[in-house]
Amino acid sequence: MNNSVDTVQQEVDLLYKSHYGILVASLLKLFQDHSLETVEDLVQDSFAAALTAWRKDGIPSNPAGWIYTVCRNKGLNKIKQSKKISSLSDEPDLTAIAPVFRESALEDPSLQLLFACAHPDLSPKVQVVITLKYVANLKVEAIAKALGMGIDGIDKLLLRARKKIKEEQVFLKEPELSHLNHRLPIVHKIIYLIFNEGYKPSVGADVLNEELCEEALLLNKALLDHRLGDTATAALYALMLFNAARFKARSGPGGELLDLEEQDRELWNKPLISMGCEFMKQSAGGEMSTYHYEASIAFLHCTANNFQSTNWTLISQLYLQLLQMNPNPFVELSYSIALYYSGQKVKALDLLNALRQHPFLNQYYLLNATLGKIHYLEGDHEKARQFFLKTLEQTTLKREKDFIRRMMEKLN
Amino acid sequence: MEKFLFLIRQDLIDREKMKEEDNQNIRVMTIWMESLAQAGNHLASDALLNSGKYVGRDYVVSDGPFIEAKESISGFFLILAENVEQAAAIAQTCPLVLTGKVVIEVRPIMVLDHEQFS
Repeated sequence: MNNSVDTVQQEVDLLYKSHYGILVASLLKLFQDHSLETVEDLVQDSFAAALTAWRKDGIPSNPAGWIYTVCRNKGLNKIKQSKKISSLSDEPDLTAIAPVFRESALEDPSLQLLFACAHPDLSPKVQVVITLKYVANLKVEAIAKALGMGIDGIDKLLLRARKKIKEEQVFLKEPELSHLNHRLPIVHKIIYLIFNEGYKPSVGADVLNEELCEEALLLNKALLDHRLGDTATAALYALMLFNAARFKARSGPGGELLDLEEQDRELWNKPLISMGCEFMKQSAGGEMSTYHYEASIAFLHCTANNFQSTNWTLISQLYLQLLQMNPNPFVELSYSIALYYSGQKVKALDLLNALRQHPFLNQYYLLNATLGKIHYLEGDHEKARQFFLKTLEQTTLKREKDFIRRMMEKLN
Repeated sequence: MEKFLFLIRQDLIDREKMKEEDNQNIRVMTIWMESLAQAGNHLASDALLNSGKYVGRDYVVSDGPFIEAKESISGFFLILAENVEQAAAIAQTCPLVLTGKVVIEVRPIMVLDHEQFS
């Protein structure tokens, strides 16, 4: 009995994961007078109804169709209720039901939604959140945990986003074919940001972070499979594969953070690295994007035999190219680190000291951690201690604090 | 992408009184700045001191007006965004805006096209 209950729950969860956003968009198109929130409530209610009904009567042969019909009927009932008060208007044309956009340039409804979420009026953060909600079909609690935000914060973001989605008909108007090219860089950025959110060390469980990285890889793969991407899409895929290959090696047996130098390179996932190399090749030929440079840097790390023999000179040159495309103090930090290990120590320290003068960067955990490590390597343990102490105040993550404390144990 | 100047406005008297909280605020802004840089929206940024000079045709005033003006500029960001809607949406994600500690004035940078020149 318990077993069958679990099967129903699993089926409902799977269906949610594959269809939530598509159902919302389809119903929004059908019931254009309903707000997005109302439509989302209808869909949520229908999933709840499915759980009860299927536990009683068993799973129907077409579960997605079942849920869609229930959603539609609930939506119609809502209109009938309001009609008792207001005057009669035309019945919605049920023959017009179609998955999201009809006659779309994009066949896959999930991809249609992905391009819809890449609306240029929305902030990157909102684009990320609605992509996770309506394309990756994650629940609000999961999004909040994965992004290290409170549920309140996500709800607030969604409240504003829903208004915008409704006003601008984000889910109703198919971005025209000519706009798809303009939207592709935004889609890349969304995927890149989702991956980075999953990749950075966070408070939450690693499982959840890994899931975000997987979602980013899946979205990117869908672009490639449907031949919607360009060379930047392939470069971004290579970059994520190289990073994903190192995911597990970044923490030790006790869950402690390990930096690049400490990682056991045997644990790096070789099939993922060779897949990354494959997509590096495919990314050649077009205009160089930031993803090309970042992927090249990740490639050099992944294929180096060890930390010392890494081609730091070439890596520093690639960082410089990135900086020439876009000034970015956080990339400057990485550039300085590469300069230091390539032997250009004076130049590296000059740059790091210049970054320290910026009031915002001065409060940046990784800048002070880097300065601590470099002074330690240069034998100035007293200065190293000062920077490490400063670093300890700048992070709330226990794993990062522990990492710094371990560094401090090496000091005289 | 277009360029925008974000002018961070806040109560400078409060800011002067709460030095410790100001450090905390800067730390919060650092995290925000990192997210802007990662998304490719950040070009430059700085925080300003409360002091300075106020210059007109017949006068140079030190300090005074900045503090007396109560709400004034405490920092700026130079931002890349798709359009003014997105720029405003980005400003809304500022943690100090969300907690009501600052107000951000979003101003498009003027760009003249060739037709206007000739």
